[in-house]
Amino acid sequence: MLEHDVLVIGAGLAGMRAAIAARASGATTAIISKVHPVRSHSNAAQGGINAALTDRGDDWEEHAYDTVKGSDYLGDQDAIEVMCKAAGQALIDMEHFGVTFNRDDEGKLGTRAFGGMRRARTFFVGDFTGQAMLHVMFEQLIKSGVRRYEEWFVSSLIIEDGQVCGVMALEIRTGQVYAIRAKTVIFCTGGFGRVFEPSTNALICTGDGTALAFNAGAELMDMEMVQYHPTTLAGSGVLISEAARGEGAYLLDKDGNRFMEKYAPNMMELASRDVVSRAEQTEINAGNGVNGCVYLDCRHLGEALIMEKLSQIREIGIDLVGCDMIKDTIPIRPGMHYAMGGIRTNIDGQTNLPGVYAAGECACVSVHGGNRLGANSLLDTIVFGERSGNHAAEAARSVDYVEFNVDQAVRKEEKRIQKLLDRPKNGDRIAAVRLGMGDSMNRNLAVYRNEEGMQETLGDLSELEKRFETVPVENKGKVFNTDLVFALELGFMLDCATPIAMSALDRKDSRGAQARTDYPDRDDENWMKHLVIKKGEVGPELTYAPVSVTKWTPEERKY
Amino acid sequence: MDVTLRVQRFDPEAADPKPFWEDFQVSIEDNGTVLDALIKVREDQDGTLSLRCSCRSSICGSCAMRINGHAALACKTQATGVMEDGVITVEPMGNMPVVKDLVVDFDLFWDKIMEVDPYLKHEGPEPEAEYIASNEAMLHLSGVTSCIMCGACVSDCTVLEVDPSFLGPAALAKAYRFTADPRDGDENGVSKDRLEALTKPSGIWDCTRCMECVTVCPKGVAPMDRIMALRDQAMEAGFRDTNGARHTEAFSESVQHSGWLDELRLVPKSVGMTNLSALIGYAPIAIQALTHGKMPPIIHKKLPDSKNVGKIFDKVEGPKKN
Amino acid sequence: MKYAFFPGCVSRGGCPELYPATKLICEKLDIELQEMPAASCTGAGVLQEKNELLGDTLNARTFAMAEALDLPILTICSTCQGVMSQANHRLKDPEYLAKVNGFLAEEGLEYKGNANPKHLLWVLIEDIGLDKLLTLITRPLAGMRLAPFYGCYIVRPANALDFEDHPERLESLEKIIETIGATVVDFAGKTRCCGFPILTINERNSMAMVSKHTIEAKDLGADAMITPCPLCHLNLDSFQPKAAAQAGRPINLPILHMPQAIGLAMGLSPEAMGLKRHIVSTKPLLTQLGAMAGG
Repeated sequence: MLEHDVLVIGAGLAGMRAAIAARASGATTAIISKVHPVRSHSNAAQGGINAALTDRGDDWEEHAYDTVKGSDYLGDQDAIEVMCKAAGQALIDMEHFGVTFNRDDEGKLGTRAFGGMRRARTFFVGDFTGQAMLHVMFEQLIKSGVRRYEEWFVSSLIIEDGQVCGVMALEIRTGQVYAIRAKTVIFCTGGFGRVFEPSTNALICTGDGTALAFNAGAELMDMEMVQYHPTTLAGSGVLISEAARGEGAYLLDKDGNRFMEKYAPNMMELASRDVVSRAEQTEINAGNGVNGCVYLDCRHLGEALIMEKLSQIREIGIDLVGCDMIKDTIPIRPGMHYAMGGIRTNIDGQTNLPGVYAAGECACVSVHGGNRLGANSLLDTIVFGERSGNHAAEAARSVDYVEFNVDQAVRKEEKRIQKLLDRPKNGDRIAAVRLGMGDSMNRNLAVYRNEEGMQETLGDLSELEKRFETVPVENKGKVFNTDLVFALELGFMLDCATPIAMSALDRKDSRGAQARTDYPDRDDENWMKHLVIKKGEVGPELTYAPVSVTKWTPEERKY
Repeated sequence: MDVTLRVQRFDPEAADPKPFWEDFQVSIEDNGTVLDALIKVREDQDGTLSLRCSCRSSICGSCAMRINGHAALACKTQATGVMEDGVITVEPMGNMPVVKDLVVDFDLFWDKIMEVDPYLKHEGPEPEAEYIASNEAMLHLSGVTSCIMCGACVSDCTVLEVDPSFLGPAALAKAYRFTADPRDGDENGVSKDRLEALTKPSGIWDCTRCMECVTVCPKGVAPMDRIMALRDQAMEAGFRDTNGARHTEAFSESVQHSGWLDELRLVPKSVGMTNLSALIGYAPIAIQALTHGKMPPIIHKKLPDSKNVGKIFDKVEGPKKN
Repeated sequence: MKYAFFPGCVSRGGCPELYPATKLICEKLDIELQEMPAASCTGAGVLQEKNELLGDTLNARTFAMAEALDLPILTICSTCQGVMSQANHRLKDPEYLAKVNGFLAEEGLEYKGNANPKHLLWVLIEDIGLDKLLTLITRPLAGMRLAPFYGCYIVRPANALDFEDHPERLESLEKIIETIGATVVDFAGKTRCCGFPILTINERNSMAMVSKHTIEAKDLGADAMITPCPLCHLNLDSFQPKAAAQAGRPINLPILHMPQAIGLAMGLSPEAMGLKRHIVSTKPLLTQLGAMAGG
C-alpha cells in the first residue's frame, strides 16, 4: 500500500518546498508529478524574486504596499503582510540551499529593478532565476528523503465523508493505475495557462489541481484575474522576461515612440503589468503596432549587460523569431501568463476541504489580487509552499488514514480510463477541442473584455464540453500514452475555463487584470470583494468574500 | 513551409516490438521549430506518437532528441536550419534505453547525478545572512547551473557508448558546479572529498576530450571544459596518483624540456614506472611497433631553441610548486 | 604554393610513415613545405586542460614564426589543427593576445593575429582544388571502399573551425575519397572518438572505441579506413589487434593516412607510402589495388 502522511501533488517550487518542509517536520512525505521535478514550469520564471532585506535599508512594509497597490486593492492585506515579512528569510534560505544569485560589489546579493516597485528589491540569477531555484530545490528534495513519484499523473482526488483520503494516479511509464493514501494532500499544480491559446505557459500547465479540487468541492477565488504579460513573443507567445525592462529596455510603437509616457509617466515601462499590457493593447488597437505587436528595444543596454544578465532571452529571440536583441528590436505583445486566482486558501494553505491544501500558482491566498507584481510569484511559491508543508505535516499528526476500498477504487478508475480509450473514432481530435477553447478564451477574456464576448465564450465552452464527451483517444496502449494524458488534461482545462468566464462576466468593474470596456472604472463601493466559485448542484455557484484591509486604504493607482 | 519528418518509432507493446521509421508531411510556419512540427504530427495526424515536451523555450529540458543524428532540443532547433532536401530525421537520444518512440528512460541519467551528491555541502556553520561571494564566482557558476538536465550530452557521449559506468558529462558538470562553488567544502571553498571521489575510475579521467558534449549542449554549459577544470582542481588538491594525472604531468614535462612529445616515455610514465604488470602488457605492442619500424625514436632529441619553450612554461606557470 | 609546415609530434614519432608520404604527395601537388624546426608541440589539448594560457602561448609562438616567414601554416594532424584553431579563436581577443605576446617578447616574437592554420585536407579543397588533384590521379582506387574517420578535433567545436564560412569542411574527407576514385562507406562512427586520449588511462574503453568503429566500418563493407589524424591512426592501427582480442573477433581493417591513400592513387609505390609500417597488414588491400591496376 502506498501511503504517506503528506502527499504533495506537483513538483515545482511550491511543491518541492512544501514537501521539504513537511519532511523536515517529521511527516512521511511523498511528492507526485506528471513530469520530472526539474521539468516543472517554475523554470520559466526568469526575472527574479522579491524580498525587502532590512540590511539593505529596505522595509517589508514598503514591499507590502507596492504589492497591495499592484493588486489593485484586491489582494488580502493580511496575507500580503505574511508573505512580505517572510520574504527575507525565505530568500536567505534559498541562498543557503545553493542558489547562485548574482552579487553586488561587496559580494552580497545584488538586486535589479522590477515593475510596480519603487525600489530595486528583485534578487536574481541572470535571466533564469526560476530554473536556478528549481534545480537547487530539487537538490534539497533529493537530500530530504521525500519519496518521489516522477511522471505519475493524478487523475482523481478521493474524499470520503468530507475527509481527504488520497488520490488515484496513473504511472505514465506503465499505464498502471494506483491508489495512494494520504492524510493530507497539498496541491501545487501550477497555473492553467493552456486554457488560453497562445500562452507563455508550458504545455503542462493545464490546471489539473485546480480542477481536481474544484470538482471535489473546493472553493476557487478571483478566477477572473488572468494576467496578460506585456512582453510575449510574436507567434509562439513565449515569455520575454520583465527583467529586460528592469534593466532599462524600452517599449516602442511602430514609429519608435516610447508610448508608455502617455500611460505611466513616472514608472514608464516599469509600471505594473496590467497597466503596461493595457497600454500596449490600446496602441495596437489604435493601429500603432505592426502585425499585432509593438517592440521591445534593448539595443541601448549594450552587449556586455545583455550577455551577463539577459543572455537566455536573447537566445530565445534568436531561436524563435530570428531577432538578436543586441542589434534588433523584438516584436512583442501582451499574452496570457499567470493566474492570480485559484484554489481559495488561508495563509497556511488550507482550503475549505479538510486535509486539502494548496500553494503556489494554483492557490489563491490571495496575495496577488487583481494583478501580480513581477518577481512576487517565486516568493509566493516558497513562502506558502513552506507554510503549507509545515501545517499539513502538523495536521497529519492528529488524524488517521481514512479507510477506503482500495481495490474497488482502482477498478473504478481503470474502468473510467478504459471508457475513454474505448471511445470510437469520430473525426474529432483532442487538439481541435483544446484550440477551440484556447481561441475563444483569448478572444474574449484577454486584456479587454465585455459582456457580449464573454457570453459568446460561455456558449462556446458548453458546446466544447459536449464535444469533449465523445472526443476519441487515438492511442490505445499503456506505455507512455501521452494521448490519454492529453484527454484527461483537456477535461481539467475545460473545468477551469467555465469558472474563469463566469467570474469575469459577473465582476462588473475594471480592476487589475480585468478591464471591461462596458464597465471601464474601478468600483470599490460594489466590487472591492473577492468572487468565490464553487461546484453546485446544477453548475458552478458564485458567492462573494470580503477583502482583508489592514493598513492601506484604496487609492487611485498611478504609476 | 512543408517539412518531411522521418521519425524513429518504437512501440514496446507491438506484436513485434522493433524500431522502425515513419515519414510525416507537415506544414509549419517559416521560423517553426522541429518541436512545432512534431506537435503538429501528434495533434493533427497521429496521436500515438509519444515524446516529452513542455516549455517550448529551451528551459525545461524535456524535448532533447537526436535530430539528424545529433542530440538537440527540438524546441531550440529551427526546422529550416536542419532540413536536408526537405527531410528532418528525428530519433530518440542515445545511451539511454527507449521507452516509446522519442521517449527514453532517464533512470540511468539520474542515477549518475545522484552519485555526485548533488547538493551544497558546506563544512562548518552557515552564516546568518547570505554567504559573501564575488559576482564573478557566481557568474562563472551560473554558466554551469544553467544546465537543464536535458540529457543531450549524455546521449552523444562517446565514452558512455562503450562504458555505461562512466559518470558522464552531465553528472561531472554538476559535480563541478559544487567544487567550483566557494560555499561548498572547507573554509577555503575546497571540496576535497568530492574531488577525491571524482578521481576514482569512471570519473574525471575517463573523459576522452572528444567535445561531443560541448557541441550538442543547448545551453553552453560545455561539460567537457568543466571536466578538464575538475582534473586541474583534483591535481591541485593533491590527487595525482592516477594514470590521467601522471599522463598530463609527463606530457607537460616532455614539452617543457624538449619542445615536443616524447611518446616512448609517455606510456610508462602514465601507467606508473613501477606498475610492472601494466608495463608488461604494453610489451607485445612495443615489439610489434619495433618490428614495423614504428617505434618512436629511442633518443628523444630536443627541438632547436627548446629552452625558449621551457622559459614560456616558467613564465606562464610561475615557479614550480609541488 | 608554399606553406609553413607543421607536421606535429606523431608524424615524427609513432607514425613515421606519415611524414615522408606527405612530402611526396605535396611535391606532386606543387606544394612547397617550409619547415619550422623550432615550433613546439601544440599541447594536444592535454597541456590546455592543465593550463590553457600556456597552451595558447605555445601556439601563438608557432603562429608568430609562420608570420615571420610570411607563410600560411599547413598541418597534417586533426588534433594539431583543432588545438591551433581553438587557440587562434581565443587569440582573437586583443587583450588576451597582448597578454600572450608579453610571454613571447623575450624570444623576439610577436603574433599579430593573422595566422590561419589549415590541415592538408582543407588545403587540398580550398587552396589547391580537387580539380587539380584529379589531374594527378593516375591509379584511381576504383572499387575500393573507404570509410572516412575524421578525428574529433577537426570536426569540433564548430565555431573555432569556421564551419559557418566553410560548410564544405564537414564533408571534406568524403570529397577526397571520391576524387581518388574510391567509394565512401558512410558510418555513424566517422566523427566519433578513436579512444587515443585515454589509451593509458582507461585502456579497456579506448580499445572498445577502436573495435566499435572499425567493426562498424568493416561490417558495412569497408576495405580500409582513411584518416587525416595520426593520433587516430596510432590507436586504430597499432592497437587494433588488442582491440580485436578484447572484442573477441578478428577485425583486420587497414587504416590509411589520408596522404597515403592519395599517394597510392597518384601511382606512388606502397613502399614509398610506408604501408609496410602498418600493424594491420595492408597486403590484401594492395593485392586488390594491384589487381585493379593490372586489370
